[in-house]
Amino acid sequence: MQNFGSNDDLDEKGHVMTEQPKIKVKFEPKPKPSACPICTVEYYQKFFDIEQRDVYMRVRCSLLSWKPEFQQCVAKNPDLWGPLWISTTIIFILFAGGNLSRFLLEEDKKHFQYEYNYMYVAVFLVYAMAFVIPIILGVIMKYILKSELGVFDIVCMYGYSLSVYIFVLILCIIPYNEAQWFFLMSGLANSTIFLLVNLWDFIKKSKPALMIAIPIIVFNVALILCFKFYFFRLIYAVDD
Amino acid sequence: MEYSNQRPPQNYSQMDDQKTLDLEESVSETIMRDLRMIAFKLKYVLIPKEQEDNGKELRNWDLWGPLIFCLVLAMTLSFKAESTTTSTKSDVFAIIFVLIWVGAFIVTLNAQLLGGKVSFFQSVCLLGYCVFPINIEAIIIAFFGSYLPFVVKLIPVLLCFAWSAYSSVGFMASLVPPHKKKLAVYPVFLFYLFLSWFSLIV
Repeated sequence: MQNFGSNDDLDEKGHVMTEQPKIKVKFEPKPKPSACPICTVEYYQKFFDIEQRDVYMRVRCSLLSWKPEFQQCVAKNPDLWGPLWISTTIIFILFAGGNLSRFLLEEDKKHFQYEYNYMYVAVFLVYAMAFVIPIILGVIMKYILKSELGVFDIVCMYGYSLSVYIFVLILCIIPYNEAQWFFLMSGLANSTIFLLVNLWDFIKKSKPALMIAIPIIVFNVALILCFKFYFFRLIYAVDD
Repeated sequence: MEYSNQRPPQNYSQMDDQKTLDLEESVSETIMRDLRMIAFKLKYVLIPKEQEDNGKELRNWDLWGPLIFCLVLAMTLSFKAESTTTSTKSDVFAIIFVLIWVGAFIVTLNAQLLGGKVSFFQSVCLLGYCVFPINIEAIIIAFFGSYLPFVVKLIPVLLCFAWSAYSSVGFMASLVPPHKKKLAVYPVFLFYLFLSWFSLIV
C-alpha cells in the first residue's frame, strides 16, 4: 500500500506536500582560470583602487620632486589611473598648445593650416614615455638587477613624473624661444630629479644599478628635445 | 493546469504575429520607428528633467544613435577642414571617428576599473548620445564660423561642451563609489574637451 504521507503532510488545500530539501544548494559556476590573467579587467582593477585624495597627494609628491617621499605616498598601492590620464592630458596639451603656439607666431592668421600630425606624434611619444619605457626599465630592474620594486611601481612613478609637464607645456604656448627653453629645462630638472631621488636607494647599491640612471636621464632629455623641436618649434622667416 | 515555468501558448502566437508584422511593414515605417527611438533616447539623455527613473531607460541601449552622431560630426568637421590636399580631410575624419569610439571605450573601461558596475555598452551608448550638442555647435560653426570673430565662436562651443559634460557626468558619477567620483568624471570632461576643441579649430 502506498503511503501518501500522514495528515500532517497536507497543506491547507488538502494537497500532499512533498518534502522540501532543507539545505538549499546554490549552484555557482566556478570562475574559470583565464588563459591570460594579464588580459582580464579584474587583474587591472587592483591598480585603480585609489581615491581622488590619493591622486592629489601623489601629484603633489611629484611636483615637490626633491623629497624622496613618493614610495611613502604610494604605500605599496601603485596605480595606473594617474599615468594613463596624466599622459592623455599631456597629449591634448601638445596637440592644442603646439598648434596654438604656431598660430600666435603666424603672420598670415587667416590661412593658418592646422597640423593634425601633431596628434599622431604626441600619442606615440607620450605613451611610449609613460608606458613602454618604464615597462622595459622595470623588467630590467626587477629581473636582471633584482630590485624590490615591481614593474608597475616603476610605471606609476614614471607616470607621475610627467605631471610637471602639464604645467610646463601650457606655459610653453607663450611664443618666446627663451621662455620655452626655460620652462622645458625646469620641467626636465623636476622630472629627472624626481625619478633619481626616488630610485636612489636602488641605484646606489651596485655599479650595474647605477647604470640605470643613464637611460633615465637620456630618455627625459630626448623627450624635451622632441617637445621643443617638433611641437614648439619656432618658425623662422625665410628670405627668398 | 498551471503553467509555472512556461509562458502560456497564446504569447508565442502573439510573438509570431509581431515578427510577421515587422517583416511586412514598409522600410519607411521601420526607419521612422528607429528614428523615433533615437529621438526619445536623445531627449531622455540630454534633458535631465525627463529622467525620473534614474537612468533605467538606458538599459535599452543602442549604438545607432552614437554612430549617426559620430558620422555627422566627423563629416561636418572634415568637410569644413580647409586643405589643399584631401589628406587633411581624411585625417580629420579618421581622428574624430577613432577619438569618439576609442575615447568612449577607454572612458567606460576607466569607470569599470574604478569599480563601477555598469554594462559596457550602456555607458558607450550614453557617451555617444551626449555627443549630440557638440554636433550642433560643429554645424553652427561650420556654417557661420567664418563670419564670426573668435570670441563669439567660443560661446556656443563652451555652452555645448558644458551641456554634453553635464548630461553624462550625472550618470558616470553615479556608477562609482563617492570617493572616486572625480576620478571617473575627469576622463569624461577630457573626452568632450577634445571633441569641442576640434569643432572650434577646424
